[in-house]
Amino acid sequence: MANYGMALDYKNCINCKACEVACKEENGVQLGADKHRIWVGVKEIEGLWPNLSIASSTFEPSQCQQCENAPCQEVCPTKATHYTKDGVVMVDADKCILCSYCMEACPYDARYVKEDTMTVDKCTFCSDTRLLRGETTTACQATCPTKVRTFGDLDDPNSEISILLAHREHRTLKTHLGTKPKLFYLI
Amino acid sequence: MFVLAEKGMKIIERFIPMRHTDIRELLNFKKTPLNLLVAFTTLVFLVLFVVGATNYLIHGHHAYGVTREHPWGLMIAMYIFFVVSSTGLCIMSAIGHVFEVEVLEPFAKRAIHGALVTLLSGFIVIFLEIGHPLKMMIYNTISPGLTSAIWGMGVLYSLYLIFIVIEFFFLLRHDHKWAKRFGIFGLVVGVAAHSNLGAVFGFLVARPVANGIYYPLYFILSAMVTGCYLIFLMYGFKYKLNFPPEMQKTLVATAKILGLLLAILLFFEIWRMLTAIYGGMEDRAETALHILKSSPFLVGEILLGIVIPFLVILLSNGKAIKTMVFASLGGMVGIFFMRYDLVHDTQLYPMQTLKLREYQLPPTFIEYFPSTTEIFIALGAIGIAITLYYIGDKILYLETDPD
Amino acid sequence: MKVEISRRRFLQGSVALSIIGGTSIGATSLLSDENEHGEMRIMTRTTNTKAQKVPFLCGMCVNKCAGVARVEKGVVVKLDPNPYFPKSRNMLCPRGNAGIQTLYDPDRLKYPLVRVGNRGDGKYKRVSWDEAYDAILNGTDKFKGLLQILDEEKDNRSTIGYCNGEGLSKEGFEELMGLKIGTPNYVDEISICLETVLGGYSATIGAYGEADMNNADYVIIAGANRAEAIITPDTMDMFKRSKGRGLKTIVLDPRFTNTAAKADRWYAINPGTDLAFVLALTYVVFSENLYDKEFAKKYLIGYEDYKNHVIKNSYTPQWAEKITNIPADEIYKTAREFMSSEHPIYYQGRRSVFAKNDFQLRRAQAIFQGLSGNLDKKGGIIYGKKLALPKEDVNSPMYAQAQDRFDKEGIAIFAGKTGSWIVFRNMVLEGKNPYPVRAMFMRKHNPMAGVPNTKKTEEFLKKMDLNVMIDILPSDTTMFCDVILPEASYLERTSPVASYGFLEPAIVQRRAAIKPMFESKTPEVIYKELAEKLTEPLWKNSLKYDEDVQDDTKGMKVDELAKYYKENGFDLTEPWEKSVEELNKERVVKAFGEEAWNTLEEKGVYYPNMDKYHKQLNPNEYQYYPEDKKNYTTKGDKLKVVVNFKNLAKKGVDPMPTWHDEWAFKVPDGQFRLVTGRHAQFTQSGTTNNMALRDLIPTNYIWINKREAKKRGIEFGDMLEVKSSVGKVHIKAYPTEKIAPNMIFMLHGFGGSSKEMEMAYGKGGNDASIIEDKIEPVYGAAVMHETNVEIRKV
Ligand SMILES: Nc1nc2c(c(=O)[nH]1)N[C@H]1C(S)=C(S)[C@@H](COP(=O)(O)OP(=O)(O)OC[C@H]3O[C@@H](n4cnc5c(=O)[nH]c(N)nc54)[C@H](O)[C@@H]3O)O[C@H]1N2
Ligand SMILES: Nc1nc2c(c(=O)[nH]1)N[C@H]1C(S)=C(S)[C@@H](COP(=O)(O)OP(=O)(O)OC[C@H]3O[C@@H](n4cnc5c(=O)[nH]c(N)nc54)[C@H](O)[C@@H]3O)O[C@H]1N2
Ligand code: SF4
Ligand code: SF4
Ligand code: SF4
Ligand code: SF4
Ligand code: SF4
Ligand SMILES: [Mo]
Repeated sequence: MANYGMALDYKNCINCKACEVACKEENGVQLGADKHRIWVGVKEIEGLWPNLSIASSTFEPSQCQQCENAPCQEVCPTKATHYTKDGVVMVDADKCILCSYCMEACPYDARYVKEDTMTVDKCTFCSDTRLLRGETTTACQATCPTKVRTFGDLDDPNSEISILLAHREHRTLKTHLGTKPKLFYLI
Repeated sequence: MFVLAEKGMKIIERFIPMRHTDIRELLNFKKTPLNLLVAFTTLVFLVLFVVGATNYLIHGHHAYGVTREHPWGLMIAMYIFFVVSSTGLCIMSAIGHVFEVEVLEPFAKRAIHGALVTLLSGFIVIFLEIGHPLKMMIYNTISPGLTSAIWGMGVLYSLYLIFIVIEFFFLLRHDHKWAKRFGIFGLVVGVAAHSNLGAVFGFLVARPVANGIYYPLYFILSAMVTGCYLIFLMYGFKYKLNFPPEMQKTLVATAKILGLLLAILLFFEIWRMLTAIYGGMEDRAETALHILKSSPFLVGEILLGIVIPFLVILLSNGKAIKTMVFASLGGMVGIFFMRYDLVHDTQLYPMQTLKLREYQLPPTFIEYFPSTTEIFIALGAIGIAITLYYIGDKILYLETDPD
Repeated sequence: MKVEISRRRFLQGSVALSIIGGTSIGATSLLSDENEHGEMRIMTRTTNTKAQKVPFLCGMCVNKCAGVARVEKGVVVKLDPNPYFPKSRNMLCPRGNAGIQTLYDPDRLKYPLVRVGNRGDGKYKRVSWDEAYDAILNGTDKFKGLLQILDEEKDNRSTIGYCNGEGLSKEGFEELMGLKIGTPNYVDEISICLETVLGGYSATIGAYGEADMNNADYVIIAGANRAEAIITPDTMDMFKRSKGRGLKTIVLDPRFTNTAAKADRWYAINPGTDLAFVLALTYVVFSENLYDKEFAKKYLIGYEDYKNHVIKNSYTPQWAEKITNIPADEIYKTAREFMSSEHPIYYQGRRSVFAKNDFQLRRAQAIFQGLSGNLDKKGGIIYGKKLALPKEDVNSPMYAQAQDRFDKEGIAIFAGKTGSWIVFRNMVLEGKNPYPVRAMFMRKHNPMAGVPNTKKTEEFLKKMDLNVMIDILPSDTTMFCDVILPEASYLERTSPVASYGFLEPAIVQRRAAIKPMFESKTPEVIYKELAEKLTEPLWKNSLKYDEDVQDDTKGMKVDELAKYYKENGFDLTEPWEKSVEELNKERVVKAFGEEAWNTLEEKGVYYPNMDKYHKQLNPNEYQYYPEDKKNYTTKGDKLKVVVNFKNLAKKGVDPMPTWHDEWAFKVPDGQFRLVTGRHAQFTQSGTTNNMALRDLIPTNYIWINKREAKKRGIEFGDMLEVKSSVGKVHIKAYPTEKIAPNMIFMLHGFGGSSKEMEMAYGKGGNDASIIEDKIEPVYGAAVMHETNVEIRKV
């Protein structure tokens, strides 16, 4: 029993998308630009050449927030979307009826339709691949050139993520919606 | 086939009074231009349905215009369109035969028949939307997601179906006592199911335009409006605008109720827009402004769906019932846009506001246009509704009891 | 190619199982399907089954990062970073991850092919390897063979040209073609990539060096885009410390890059004017006496001459402002900050052939670095150490008939082995070659996309009697070849061990994750077999024409002749007597012992005391060497910075960096300056057919200033025709404020013309087909950013 979360040192991110490709290969995510579990968002730069605002140009790596209070789970009619004992929000493909309600409900655009099973899919924190094999990092974390991500057990005070969160300021996305995300952006 | 069907009907005939049980007779109707036009259109729609449904069965959701950003499309809108019609008719019927408002009693049976027909059409559409409908029936039962409005809707609409079938059964057998009892059940469950459908949207914290108490209330209101429009249409067609005096009284009363409902609905719409735009939530306000400027909203929802019928009623004091038949036709088009916009507008504002690929414009309001398959199925479903209605009309006694 | 088994059936069902080199593959971990547009998609996924984990070195770009391949039932399902290699710091970039898609690319070359149609029309016949080698030696009815050419040219080996792109098996190809077969006419990526920066830095500080980005506190990074053009370990080190976290970052680039997004300041410099900027920085430093005087006295040879030169020429920031588009006070500020920082670095740069003055620019940068004294020490440019591996000498024969290379027109310093692509090609085209060049042997190189002026490259290839290509994909260049040899991709081959030097030196080995698929072969096996095929007939040709050989062997008996042939290196096969695997073991055991070899085999990396030094610091980071064992300072008193390089004057090159007014940035009205470059999700032309990467960038676009685009009614996605004096391309528009109104930018590597690469074909524009073939005057390296173009909406 763990309570998995992830801390993102997002200022390190260079928008290379190694994480996206690694996730696809590891987890058999089908190719296709809109079939992704993980992404990096970029804002259009502000200003007129050559007076551009460097500060306006940030890279925001993101993925399913593994909400503690997940709207997607709440709305699922068949409990296909559920919490694992490790606090990971997962979709049981056998139970998913593809009503797409969870896609409507997720405030982070974290879900997509997996075409071979025609069910909804999302980031699993690599629970069914790497973690199952006893590995302790996710694919997106391991591959990142600038080491943006730290994954780990929030309930273990000695885990690297707990230490990071204890020592560094951080924020979450769309906090006001009350979803209690478990992706923490280090400031 | 025919023989079997006829045998079946013979059996049913023992329980319910019926008009014709001869299949060939079923295809017989007066060959007036209007009838022929309706018959032809219906036939075309049915063919489109077969084409669309086949395409969907082969290609699945690829055949639809839905995307990651806009997962719900025309199918959901159509489903809502039908089930709202059903609830509307059920409520209107109940006012007459459950609450015994006498002037409205004449259409009790026909309205319930309509409620049944539209509900079945809605179910057909939703079966072609849900990716795995059979799985749905299994897991809705053995693994119920009690917090899910869709689950609630599934359960309530199933119960509703059962209740109104029974209600209809007793109505047809002129068993008022039982019809009334089940009418009450049907009404309660129907209203619950229906407000729950509103909650499907209302619960979406992710979607500020939809989130809140507004939709559950608005749904009941607009359902009744839809019910009124459909009553005008059914009777307008049945009597070819030559209403018998009894009917005239009923329809004038209906128009007056409708006028009141429309006024409230308009009031609702105005406040929805005002709170959205000045409510201090940036994304909600932007979306609302976007909606406000769109023609499906202005022309469809507001003009056709509310303002024109309302003016007809207002200016004639509810007496222009012939005009109301035409206004109702426009009204139903407006109602369709209400449903379509509800689905589309909820998804307008992107959940992802940053661009994710190098060569891409930043996301703006999400666009969606139904695919041909979706349009075929949607029209087809209307064809199915008309066909079912026609059959019922042909074989059953849908008028008020002879007594 | 019409003989190919339909790509749609690639890897599907039983056909797949039989075509993949006889090995059976698990159909569950390799999935293929088609998307709604009928495009094929291949995907892997890992499972919980037992897997082999094979250490490899990435071959998707020049960096050679270390990884571990997860192999399940014969399928490579995942590539993970290998935490042991100090250079790659436990990471794989997007391209590294997408290597699986290159391995299983349905368009891969699967069998040897021999041309049966006309050049460029794509008609090939599938043949056996022996038939392919035979076609190289003896030709077919469509083209001449090597033997006939050398016979006609009386054994002048120099009539054969060859080229090769960067990689671990490059050396073997040079041994075969250059040392053994005996032609000096070699060109590679150096003269289109980093020749001037290598040359400039080597001439000035004795080496290219390595920037210690982990400890620097101030960096000027000009014309290098580390966030998108990934160089390890710089990329990984820089961006953990930029954005106010210890490494102040000043970026100079005419366009706003992802590196600029991480900078403290970004200067939109005019292309080709960096030299004026550095000279002005130097002016400030000299005029304000900001330099490290002790260090200068000790190590900077001729710096006083330079001081006079810079002051006398008044290379003031005010002067530079007009040239560079960078405000004078910003230049003052930057120079002062740089010199007052403890560990400042003027980053060397990599692809450097931007403008004609590039050699002088790199000299000026290196000297400027020297003035800070931050050289050969922690946080500066360091020299480091390398672990030595024993080298096998190649016994190369002397061919009397062979002649010297000739590609020297317009070049001051002839660089020797690697030559100049443009000069070589153009002289052959213009008939300025003193002897004919009649064949090209090519490997892992795509000059149709990489060398400016594609039309000329095409004509050059068409002029040859024989073109041979060793590649993994049917590239644009491959489609102009007569014999095509399919190589095993990097995941299917064990490569020669390599030694990586600098701060934390290590020995690394790429091991084959799976056996070569289809009928592909590893490069060393191809060299060996080709050598076996050629050696006897070519030897006989030498006997026929080579007067030295004839003199030497007059009257020899058969066995004496055989001995002579062996002893004098005419036996071409000798370097390949042992397999790569055997040689690797032999060399490593010899240098570091058996234990080291076992470590290398298991972990892919070895360095002395690795078991003690290597530690995991946190879930993401490792220590490779303890701080006190890192090679920060290795030069000691041998360090020297050659400021006034008098020898250069003799060759007509400025002995000290000097600005010439003709270098000013000028674009005629209505035209645009074209700049090209990299993106993190692509490697040049080599990855455009990679399905996973294509998802990220399906095609290149042209960056055009938003306001300029608006004026011309151009919107996002509009198709434009971009035209220069040498050609035109069609490419979509991407209006953005990230570029100046008189410039455009496009990603390099797109716009493939080979129809056999289904993903890449016709997607975007090929920049090489519009870049004018200009050279810089020192080495004859290609100048990439001096082309002006016109654009129009189509
Ligand atoms: N992802 C990825 N990484 C790679 C490669 C790849 O293909 N893809 N290739 C590898 C290879 S072979 C190399 S050589 C390196 C290249 O690495 P870099 O040299 O860093 O990369 P480029 O993008 O080619 O060019 C650098 C920048 O120079 C800018 N520039 C152009 N003209 C001028 C000028 O006059 N002055 C200044 N200050 N800037 C100018 C361009 O806008 C561009 O952003 O990258 C290596 N790494
Ligand atoms: N306009 C413009 N031109 C440029 C540049 C630019 O930025 N702009 N950049 C320049 C630079 S820095 C460089 S380094 C050069 C690079 O130029 P090239 O060395 O030609 O590199 P690529 O374009 O990547 O083409 C590599 C070829 O090798 C093949 N290949 C890949 N892997 C293997 C393998 O394992 N074995 C074999 N046999 N073949 C393989 C690929 O299919 C492809 O055909 O281009 C230069 N040219
Ligand atoms: S791999 Fe790391 S640096 Fe690259 S895009 Fe992902 S988070 Fe950003
Ligand atoms: S981010 Fe979306 S998909 Fe993930 S747990 Fe939260 S609501 Fe569900
Ligand atoms: S699409 Fe699947 S996972 Fe999502 S709510 Fe419906 S049943 Fe649950
Ligand atoms: S944690 Fe695993 S599943 Fe989630 S985005 Fe990262 S790699 Fe993909
Ligand atoms: S930088 Fe990327 S492509 Fe280049 S070797 Fe490393 S992982 Fe491979
Ligand atoms: Mo390069």
